[in-house]
Amino acid sequence: MRNDYKIILDLIPENSKVLDIGCSDGDLISLLADKNISAQGVELNQEKVISCLGRGLDVIHGDINIIVEDFPYNQFDYCILTQTIQAVQKPDVLLNTLKKVSKNIIVGFNNSGRLSKVIQFLLSGSFDSLLKKSDSDQWYNTDYIHPCSIKDFKNLSLDLNFKIISTYDVINSTQFTDGKIPSNFFCKEVLFHLKNEQ
Amino acid sequence: MRKITNNKDYPGFLLSCEESLLLDSGKSINKFQIAYQTYGELNSNKDNAILICHALTGDQFPAEESPITKKNGWWDLMVGPNKPIDTNKYFVICSNVLGGCVGTTGPNDINPETSKIYGLDFPTITIRDMVKVQKILIDELGIAKLRSVIGGSMGAMQVLQWAATFPEFVKSTVCIAGSLKHSAQNIAFDEAGRQSIMLDPNWNQGRYIEFDQKPENGLSVARMIAHITYLSETAFQNKFGRNLQEKKDLSFGFGIDFQVESYLRYQGRSFVDRFDANSYLYMTRAMDYFDVSEEIKNNQKRIIENEIRFLVLSFTSDWLFPTKESREIVSLLNSIGSNVSFAEVVSDRGHDSFLLDEPQFFRVCEGFLRGIK
Repeated sequence: MRNDYKIILDLIPENSKVLDIGCSDGDLISLLADKNISAQGVELNQEKVISCLGRGLDVIHGDINIIVEDFPYNQFDYCILTQTIQAVQKPDVLLNTLKKVSKNIIVGFNNSGRLSKVIQFLLSGSFDSLLKKSDSDQWYNTDYIHPCSIKDFKNLSLDLNFKIISTYDVINSTQFTDGKIPSNFFCKEVLFHLKNEQ
Repeated sequence: MRKITNNKDYPGFLLSCEESLLLDSGKSINKFQIAYQTYGELNSNKDNAILICHALTGDQFPAEESPITKKNGWWDLMVGPNKPIDTNKYFVICSNVLGGCVGTTGPNDINPETSKIYGLDFPTITIRDMVKVQKILIDELGIAKLRSVIGGSMGAMQVLQWAATFPEFVKSTVCIAGSLKHSAQNIAFDEAGRQSIMLDPNWNQGRYIEFDQKPENGLSVARMIAHITYLSETAFQNKFGRNLQEKKDLSFGFGIDFQVESYLRYQGRSFVDRFDANSYLYMTRAMDYFDVSEEIKNNQKRIIENEIRFLVLSFTSDWLFPTKESREIVSLLNSIGSNVSFAEVVSDRGHDSFLLDEPQFFRVCEGFLRGIK
């Protein structure tokens, strides 16, 4: 099982209502369902939606920025974005909207500011290394339109008045609390657990 | 008084009711019957029943060979043993809608008040009226909760109506190529079809049976108009292009030159043999009147409490019930906090895609039903 999924499964209590944004083939929804957590997915890719539905999972085909407007206030206990935030057109706008529909938000992403990436960039002189999601990605066709570092995301969370409950270094499953965050230089993959301050 | 017997005119069964049924129009019918067919076996818990709602020109025979057309039933690809709606697992019920012409009470039946054929004395019916009658059938079969209610097009309207009016009796719904309300464009097409029927001199104010004739030309043109809306520009182009029908040169007249003309005329003619003109008027009117949005909002609490799972499906090339309208259903269901799934299936075959061989569509339906416990 993916490390970030393990952390998420431990973090979310049973009987919660969850929205998984960019749910892909529905692996996480399916794991959550096993734990008696009702999860609904949102996915833009038609093939992946068909695959989720074929597995008997709940998923809505479409753009989260539009769909999220329909949900009632505090409809969900948790909203999850794994490997999605850097591909969203306007991460700040989306996070602000999610605030209205969910009490907690979990965001996981690869740290584009880590030292190895920066060195790779310096040596190659090419943005491809920073913007790569899959091997075929290059700067002009990548989905990673908003590469960000752990520090960047922490600042955005605070600017948007979120409370950072905890953060995780996903690779070694270490939890950080009391405003501490994993190393911006060395942590490869990070998970933020945010809560609405209001 | 209610009584179930074998249907003498068609395969399947007949539920005869002698009771007053108040319709949305304010009028009542005091005696009515429901013609239905079933496939598969009802289990001892009575929790494997699926109700299929047919579209405008469908009937109660989705599976196996149709006794009407002698061809495969209209949803034979979807319903049957080991098919997406698997009759080895589910007990499938399909009834002819109120106002229909395949055994359920409609405008060409005898009006018990006058002992004459109803004709236009038959009250105007709504989708809700159709569903109320289906509910009576489900009660009589002793089914407390349907595993699913499934339908496309006018069938999708009945599906949403079931969830809105009888949420306690539905576990899940599959709403295919449907909408919350009939659009202005769709009402316009319906009106063109109705005018075509009513302007046929053989229609005789709906009393054509008394005169032993049928408004065949009118009904045929109505079907031609409607059939165009069921396909897509691409479907027409791929199927016919500008190919000529059994000739090399244009005739410079108004006979059949193009294959597409021949096809449409055939569709019109063959429809006349199996469908009734007055039923067509009543059922298109029921669709025009359909708007379930407010009822869904008003019954939000009951829908949520019963945890109905909704699946909404649309097809990319459907311009009669476009994806936009399915998204409106999803949007409304999300706004009341219900449990909804949605997918747009890629197909270039228009509104009729839901009746055709679309493997992705079948996969989704099969998977969704498997997930309903």
